[in-house]
Amino acid sequence: MSRLLLVGGGAAALVVAAIAWQSGRPSSSEFFVGKTKPPEAAPVCPWREPEVDLKLSFPNASRYELENHPLSGSRLELAERLGRALAPDENLLPVYRIYGETGAVGAVLTRRVKGTHGAIEVVIATDLRDQVCGLRLQRLREPEGVARALENPEWLRSFHGKTAGSGWDLGRDIPEVPPEARASAAAIAEGARSALILLAGTARSPSNAPVKAPHH
Amino acid sequence: MTMFLLASRNLVRRPLRSALTLAGLSLGVAVLACLYSFGNGYKRALSGELDRMGVQLMLVPLGCPYDAAARVLKGKELDNSLPETALEEARRDPAVAVAAPLLMVALPRPHEGRADMWVGLDESALELKPWWRVSSGQKWFPDEAAVILGCDAAEIEMRAPGDDFFSPETGANLKVTGVLERSGTSDDSLFFVPLRTAQKMFQQPGRVTAIAIRLRDPELLRGASERLQQIPGAQVVTLTEMMGTFLSLLGAVRTLLLSLAFVALAISVLSVFNTLLAAVVERTNELSVMRAIGASRAQIVRLIATEALLLSGAGSVLGILLALSFGRGIENLVKGFLPMVPTQSLLSPTFTIGLQSLVIGVAVGVLGGLYPAWRASRLHPAAALKAE
Repeated sequence: MSRLLLVGGGAAALVVAAIAWQSGRPSSSEFFVGKTKPPEAAPVCPWREPEVDLKLSFPNASRYELENHPLSGSRLELAERLGRALAPDENLLPVYRIYGETGAVGAVLTRRVKGTHGAIEVVIATDLRDQVCGLRLQRLREPEGVARALENPEWLRSFHGKTAGSGWDLGRDIPEVPPEARASAAAIAEGARSALILLAGTARSPSNAPVKAPHH
Repeated sequence: MTMFLLASRNLVRRPLRSALTLAGLSLGVAVLACLYSFGNGYKRALSGELDRMGVQLMLVPLGCPYDAAARVLKGKELDNSLPETALEEARRDPAVAVAAPLLMVALPRPHEGRADMWVGLDESALELKPWWRVSSGQKWFPDEAAVILGCDAAEIEMRAPGDDFFSPETGANLKVTGVLERSGTSDDSLFFVPLRTAQKMFQQPGRVTAIAIRLRDPELLRGASERLQQIPGAQVVTLTEMMGTFLSLLGAVRTLLLSLAFVALAISVLSVFNTLLAAVVERTNELSVMRAIGASRAQIVRLIATEALLLSGAGSVLGILLALSFGRGIENLVKGFLPMVPTQSLLSPTFTIGLQSLVIGVAVGVLGGLYPAWRASRLHPAAALKAE
């Protein structure tokens, strides 16, 4: 008993020492000190106003749950579908799973995209078939004319029904916007398309099983 | 060596009791080590941050000077402002080497839980911030429609040199000309624009919120303070005064927390005392037999004292390791209560602090073991025979 206790105590002390040593080392983000990360690796975009989006896209929702889907196992396949390499912040896809009284009713994804005049944060709501059922800009800093065009309800509704495999060309599959809003509009469309491709990627590979966060 | 083995065997005979005593002692030592480390770290981080400002004086609008200067240092806006004539007067003072105006305005973004912090500067700011480095783009504004972003601000806004940057609240459309390297200061999250641009954007023509001043010679501080104090509407705050105020505030908090740590250590003394006394009472026969077969009183004292030493030594080491592991959590907790929080880490664990905590922890243990040791040594050999 006493030996067991001594060995156990020694092991615990070693673990604590290891944690202490580890806490003194720079975190991985500190290795970037002095280097500005590329814009694609923007900080994870939070979901700022769940109540607003739930009311708009899922009026019967009763709760939501955050699932973090690791995507590192299917990087090559996803890169092929996206037509570009995955950004470092795309290794993990946060998906807000929405539940009604009878079960899951859809999901919400958020993306931060590079608008012409600043970052634009897009909230994409999808139904159970991974089709867009709502799209809202939760944050943007575009001039008034551009903002008006991008936040036009008709334009935002044109995304409804789109899936990862749909056409996403501005002017053909999505209504055209004034020239000064074109770059930002294209960024929003590309952001939504990327989010849907990544969402579809979470269902393809068993290694992408979600890590659930606490209930909300 | 035999005494050491005997003492350690005695301790593991009652593992739960020893473990609980160890836990109590280690917690007390951990709190003490954290507080020592925190106090030193705060002082070092604060003076480092103030040194990097490269200023000895801050000219702020009338009001609470410490609040005003702290707000400027922390990158928060002030409620009132100074006329730009104060800047001219400050620059005329013979003791002033650099007087840099600042116009700071916060545009709250409640949905995002943060504020856009805009800072208007003129070129004199570069003399105060020689350590300013850009990771990309230019170090200074080529024209009035330019903005330089702190690295965190650029990351959140996804901006790089050459990109447009719009301020919806003021209607200003700017061009990003540079992104700063990470400095570990509040600069990382700020938007810097030329002073004139800031004055136009926020409709504050001819106004500044503070003037940072570096003297030709720090020895001239007193005279310069007295003269600058005469500028109408302005008041002078020396950074030494500010640091003194912050440190005395910290001192008060630290005294309170140290009192709590010493109460925890006092409880540890009682815990060691209780553990060893109970062990002595339980082992009356055994100790009496030891005396009967020739153990001297000094040897019995040494035995119990070694047990106290082992308990307190192990508890102190564990406490120091706990402090190293969970110090960051305690730091984050305490940061919320401080008036001016430097951005760098406030914990500064050193070998001396570890040694001090170890010595105090061991002393506490030995103190708790004194009476049980004395009592054990007073046992008469006859007690063993009587019990038999």
